[in-house]
Amino acid sequence: MSQANGRANAALLAETPAQDGRPAAVFRSAGDRFLLVEFGPMELDLTLNFRVLGLNQALKDAEIPGVIETIPALRSILIHYDSTTLKPSELIAEVNRYYAELPPVENLTIPSREITLPMAVDDQWSRADIAKYVQFIRKDAPNIRNGNNIDYAAEYNGLRDADEFVDYVLATPWWNAANGFFPGLPFMFPLDPRYAVVIPKYNPTRPWTPEGAVGIAGPCLAIYPVPSPGGYQLIGRTIPIYDAQQRNPAFADNPILMKPGDRVSFTRTNDAELILLREEVYSGGYEYQIKDGTLKVGEYLARLEEIKPETEAFKRRQQEAAERTPVP
Amino acid sequence: MMEVLEGGIQTTIQDFPGRQGLLDQGICPAGPFDNLGFRLANVLVGNEPGAAALEVAAGNFKATFNQDAVIAVTGANMEPKLDGEPIDLWRSHRVRPGQTLALGTVKGPGFRSYVAVSGAFDVPEYLGSKSTYVPGAIGGFEGRALKKGDQIPLGKPEESLDDLTGRTVKANVIPVYSSEWDLEAVPGPQTAPDYWTWDDYDHFFSHPWKLDRNSNRMGYRLEPHSWQWARKTGGVAGGHPSNILDNGYAVGAVNISGDQPIILCVDGPTLGGFVCAAGVAYGAMWKLGQMVPGRDTIRFKELSIDEAADLARATDALVSDASLERI
Repeated sequence: MSQANGRANAALLAETPAQDGRPAAVFRSAGDRFLLVEFGPMELDLTLNFRVLGLNQALKDAEIPGVIETIPALRSILIHYDSTTLKPSELIAEVNRYYAELPPVENLTIPSREITLPMAVDDQWSRADIAKYVQFIRKDAPNIRNGNNIDYAAEYNGLRDADEFVDYVLATPWWNAANGFFPGLPFMFPLDPRYAVVIPKYNPTRPWTPEGAVGIAGPCLAIYPVPSPGGYQLIGRTIPIYDAQQRNPAFADNPILMKPGDRVSFTRTNDAELILLREEVYSGGYEYQIKDGTLKVGEYLARLEEIKPETEAFKRRQQEAAERTPVP
Repeated sequence: MMEVLEGGIQTTIQDFPGRQGLLDQGICPAGPFDNLGFRLANVLVGNEPGAAALEVAAGNFKATFNQDAVIAVTGANMEPKLDGEPIDLWRSHRVRPGQTLALGTVKGPGFRSYVAVSGAFDVPEYLGSKSTYVPGAIGGFEGRALKKGDQIPLGKPEESLDDLTGRTVKANVIPVYSSEWDLEAVPGPQTAPDYWTWDDYDHFFSHPWKLDRNSNRMGYRLEPHSWQWARKTGGVAGGHPSNILDNGYAVGAVNISGDQPIILCVDGPTLGGFVCAAGVAYGAMWKLGQMVPGRDTIRFKELSIDEAADLARATDALVSDASLERI
């Protein structure tokens, strides 16, 4: 276990070194009923998520006694278990066993739908929310300029202006690595790393966010399914992705629209049109644009190699800009 | 049938352990905030400990029963009255058709009362549970807190009402509430020395944290603190060292969002990108439900996983007929 000044990290339960192309796994306690398993370094690397989704399925299928559920995220799985019947050391041994059996990531084909959503950028609802934040929570937030978060986002990424920032968001499909935070909230990452923008989160967080808001923080894009607190910089607003009353055929089987592995692209719209589209969703007339498909991981990784120089170039530009931009 | 005359500040139907197995879709468990008081109320009236019952936050709830039933009120003292006559907390009482139960506001420590009725409240399950999750507008009665005019159907009791009446929770089992709470917690996942300095860690486990009045079933905000942090930035996850690549959040996690610690409660977020420095022990989660926002203080008491598992066993062991007596 890790030692510093003679004190051990009480949360660090075990580490499995990298082996046979598999990234290292680190096991950390998260209270007495949850175990966090992290894979590889803290980097934006979707191959880690492909492995996570593969291992998560294997753990679900295994039905390990004492495991209540598993919660996959970008590079980690949080395991909910009953520590009065299953010891953490026994659970760690089980996870290691299934991890060692996982096929090489290049061989994975992941079911992946293509979903297109309309987004009103710098919309009136986000602006009203931001104004409220300035009034009640923090007057001098550096991430708020001209009543929006997009101007700051552009500067933090070394982009010319808000429009260029929005172009970047629209240029890439977004990979849904996990659902969480609130019902059906997708945590999405850019599949095209040439457009992988990064922004710090709010500090402090926002007590309110409009339903349907599209936010970005770190490398991650989220859509808020219900009005809720939040920490992501607000970019725009889209149509509902969650409906408890299941008023549209898209929600007939499940109030949650998104699944892990979905690819989402945004098209730009304006406030007035968004209002109409949202009404059509609830009246049942709107047909969500969803196509079935798969992601072949081997092919995807080959494409990443081809575009690597452009990816690296944007990353450098972005890091230089981030260093001279204040953090909330 | 029970007809609501006054909904109060926030009265919801909950069951225990709430919605399980849906954290990976972003659905929190919901369920009773104080699961100990809640389960004891059900045991008093002969229900399964997790059966659907009422959670009354802060008070001012009033309802009339239009059928024979046995009820019990546990948790914070809101001076419950039946047709104007005071009734004991932690005890089962017979109600006759037309009688009215009224809860006032909280007197003394504690914040939530629980009202169980023999046969339980008969509302439909949504995604496997009857618990109300107000922010998601699902579960319980029409996905919302109760209000005047609501008519809530009651289930059929399995035992005779006479047998169920006049039972009380033994004095040594009744939880003690305070305004200065010791709250058991297990460190992790993101703690010292890789995320926090040891000074941060020691401060967290020794400081009496004031509970902000802007706190609810989703999150308990504690006062902000200037953490030293072991890392300079959050790297790819964002500029602030409290930022991480989003991961799953444990129920009861102590999330550090910038300077501010927030305990993620039963209606809380399931995944996010801020560090979680500790997790409230499962066997102590009930205490959160009885804390008064804006007034109470919390001192975290560090436990190992083994110690926390013992605490969970001890808390669950209280939920039993053996905790009852007839006086």
